[in-house]
Amino acid sequence: MAVIGVARFLQQRQDFENATARSYQREIQARNRLAEGRAPAAARATIVAQQRSRQVLRNEISSETRDTALLVGAGLIAGLTGAALLFTGLISSMRRPLEDLVDASGRLAGGDLEARVAVGGLAETATLGSAFNEMAEELQRRAGERDQLERMKDEFVLTASHELRSPLTSVQGFAELLLLERERLSPKQAETAEVILDNTRHLVRLLNDLLDLARSDAGRLTIRPEPTAAGALIEEAVRTMRAQIDARGQSLALEIEPGLPQVEADRDRIRQVLVNLLTNANEYCPQGANIGVQARHADAEVEIDVTDDGPGIPEQQLEHIFERFTRGDAGETQRVGGTGLGLAISKSLIELHGGRIEAESTPGEGSSFRVRIPAAAPEPAEVS
Amino acid sequence: MARILLADDSETILLLLRTRLEMEGHEVETAIDGQEVVDKVAASGPPDVLLLDAMMPRKSGIDALRELREQSVESPALIVSAHTEGGNGAEHDGLAIDGYISKPIDFDALFAKIAGLTQR
Repeated sequence: MAVIGVARFLQQRQDFENATARSYQREIQARNRLAEGRAPAAARATIVAQQRSRQVLRNEISSETRDTALLVGAGLIAGLTGAALLFTGLISSMRRPLEDLVDASGRLAGGDLEARVAVGGLAETATLGSAFNEMAEELQRRAGERDQLERMKDEFVLTASHELRSPLTSVQGFAELLLLERERLSPKQAETAEVILDNTRHLVRLLNDLLDLARSDAGRLTIRPEPTAAGALIEEAVRTMRAQIDARGQSLALEIEPGLPQVEADRDRIRQVLVNLLTNANEYCPQGANIGVQARHADAEVEIDVTDDGPGIPEQQLEHIFERFTRGDAGETQRVGGTGLGLAISKSLIELHGGRIEAESTPGEGSSFRVRIPAAAPEPAEVS
Repeated sequence: MARILLADDSETILLLLRTRLEMEGHEVETAIDGQEVVDKVAASGPPDVLLLDAMMPRKSGIDALRELREQSVESPALIVSAHTEGGNGAEHDGLAIDGYISKPIDFDALFAKIAGLTQR
């Protein structure tokens, strides 16, 4: 529009120049005639007429110039507004799908495998959208397959450990039966029965660890907490381990702060954790090492430390100590046995109690494991 | 000593339990599944203690116990289970289960439980 206006203006300007030039030509001719004295009245009239006519032309063209300037200005504004509108439209037609994509990516990354986007808009964003949807579809399919495999694995471990338990019960039971009549066995026979019994107990421990792990993975590791005297529970765990610690010539010092509060605990499970920590100290420490258990009341928690002055744990191992299948170095684990599952299970169990477990160690000086369990809410005083 | 009715679907476990219980001086009768438990109670009267495996073919220890309780058999009952957790008492409300024994069996704990149940 502005272009047409400008072109028309240039044409008019040209016409004006031409008309003005013609007018001057006529005036000059008239002045020549006047100078020659031919028909002076008519010549004078022509001169005046031409001057007037140019004045009219000038007035016309200046108004045209103003109109054109207005037209061009208006055209420019209209053009800019149009461009801006076009640009905004383009941006907004891309922005909505892009925002959707960002939103869906966030949800997908957050684990919502159902996240999809509506495919539409510009060709480019539509392509992007359907590529995203295909990717999400594939992710969901693989996650489904993985979940199913996980479930089958958990189910298998649960069934297998259940089925293995009956024969193990028999083997352990009959080995115990043999040893009940130890005096009628030869030393060699008694030793053989001991080996059977030791290995059966080890198998049972492995089985229990595997079972706990499978339960934990399946979200079926549960505890049944009840108000429990922390001191008695610790003494119980220590009593269980006393013989094994004595057998390696190690000392076991027990310090329980008097008046320890009750803890909200599943007795069997806390005992399992403490026995696990003591078993590790017993097995990884050399003969004659000093093992200690200290329990104290700290804030609203009961703090239990299991310490030793054994070889300690290298720093890079300490970081991963509560991850499953983390064990001491190869030479040690060969001697010690174990599954590398004990501490991972202990951590799960303590966390189920709303507590924490931490490890500290200085290689060459010893290790310390600290368990914190929330104290039970104080009961109203009871007459016992 | 106590009259104990013992049920497990494994002959080997039955032999082990019977041997250990008899060594402790108990009188033991055995059953290979829950149906046999119900039949033996009908034939020779309620025992002092029922020691039943939780899972047996044909009729489980739990189902047998439910049937016995409906017949007003009030013998104390211990349930043997392959699960380490022993099972949650709340699952079997109203069956008056007196304890759970997990496999492998800790015989000292079992004998203590039986003694506790028969001396009431």
